[in-house]
Amino acid sequence: MPDAKEQSETNVRREQLARLAELLGVEVADDDLATLATQLDALDALEESELRDQPPILTMDAGWHD
Amino acid sequence: MTDSDALINLSISEAALALRRGDATAVALTEATLARVNETEPTVQAYAVVAAESALHAAEQADREMAAGRDRGPLQGIPVGVKDNCYSKGVLTEVGSKALAGFAPAFDATVLANLYRAGAILIGKTRCHEFSCGGSDPPTRTPWDLERFPGGSSIGSGVALAARSAFGTIGTDTGGSIRIPASINNLVGMKATYGRVSAYGVVPLAWSLDHVGPLTRRVRDNALMLGAIAGYDSQDANSARVNVPDFTLGIEDGVQGLRIGIERDYFLYKGVTDDVRVATKNVISALADLGAEIIDVNLPELAGTRETLTTIRLAESASYHRHLIREKGHLYSPGTRATLELGQVVLATDYLAALRARERFRSAMKALFRHERLTALISPTIPVPAPLLPDVWRPREDLDNSETPTDGFVHHVYPANLSGQPALSAPAGFTKAGLPIGYQLTGRPFDEATLYRIAYAYERTRDWHERQPPHVYN
Repeated sequence: MPDAKEQSETNVRREQLARLAELLGVEVADDDLATLATQLDALDALEESELRDQPPILTMDAGWHD
Repeated sequence: MTDSDALINLSISEAALALRRGDATAVALTEATLARVNETEPTVQAYAVVAAESALHAAEQADREMAAGRDRGPLQGIPVGVKDNCYSKGVLTEVGSKALAGFAPAFDATVLANLYRAGAILIGKTRCHEFSCGGSDPPTRTPWDLERFPGGSSIGSGVALAARSAFGTIGTDTGGSIRIPASINNLVGMKATYGRVSAYGVVPLAWSLDHVGPLTRRVRDNALMLGAIAGYDSQDANSARVNVPDFTLGIEDGVQGLRIGIERDYFLYKGVTDDVRVATKNVISALADLGAEIIDVNLPELAGTRETLTTIRLAESASYHRHLIREKGHLYSPGTRATLELGQVVLATDYLAALRARERFRSAMKALFRHERLTALISPTIPVPAPLLPDVWRPREDLDNSETPTDGFVHHVYPANLSGQPALSAPAGFTKAGLPIGYQLTGRPFDEATLYRIAYAYERTRDWHERQPPHVYN
């Protein structure tokens, strides 16, 4: 179970997503927004703790000169 | 059993041999398959389009070629189905959506072109969930139990094989959509390494997660089909420039000395039902008896795969669909549209966090395989047998309502989509009620051949593939 602080942060995230959806004119269900907010918070926590030195995949194709 | 029944129950390997011995013709195989389509479609609805006339024409051509000594290989004259998200020149490709009603592409997806080159006969386009995401409700039913979830999103590709209305099919897998229908329909399904099979001409769900691959009733057949469709394609920017081996070479070499890992904390978690747990352990025991080394491993990074994949998928699918939704959004089913639009609220920073998390996961998986010298990981394909249709999205009471069956599916199948590793589902047995159970092997990049070798070794010890679904014969 998430603690009170985590729950509060997730609620804030959900509110932000709901406002963004409204601005974009996108109709999304509250449940879907709540699930997404939880998942994005989990990613956020991972980013903060373990992804600091982890870039996304950026590879070049060495086959240009074949 | 009639002659026609005997033909449609052949494996691809057996049918190929029969064609070469003169015991069957491509026309006979195609006619038997089309008769089967007519017989079963009212019940199972596996096909969105049946291309009977062109299939018979192609079969006549295949017979003429073989009579003239032109042998295109083991798929020549073999009737197949292809998922309806693959472009087919002049043949409707609606991807289960009214938004693409009447769309007949001007060219073939590379996977279909490769099948044609191998001499395969296109019986038709198999149904899929709308745009390959889970927001729609196709009428397709599995002959294993008409009241239960038939798998998805390659729903018709699984059901057509189970119903014996194709010898092999093509599916796509962004989050388990080859392996889930394979598990539920007692089939072999291969999600090959990312980039192994061209996705050119396949309507995407999420570019960096989409995989194209074969479904069959037997392991060797699957290896034959992958051999026909794999290979570098300059038209697909993500296509891998690697050699394509004969995937059947060494398939009979057994598993002696192969090191197979099991991550029990994650893949045998509390959501795995007893019958699935027992079936998986039986597969592991059988492989150990055959000489494989079973290694307990630990990979805590598996825990973050769901949110990582979901974020990537939502963002990429929203990117692909947003223009079409502006134009034809009213034609999408509401559930599909909601799923595809949700990604518009995923920020670029969230998407990048997910990409970084994916690389962290890949690195951890690679380190595990290297450190433990693994050839594969083994697990149940999905933690539950096919749920009743109304229960697919309903929280499970046996887990205190903490997850739905769909949550369980993604828990098991997402990791291989995220890492891009090859992953194969094959039959592991049946529940007491007679529902199929599948097991999953996840391998090293571009080492599909070893997964086939392991699965073939196990298949030879059991007869699961010979069982007929109860609703095949009316």
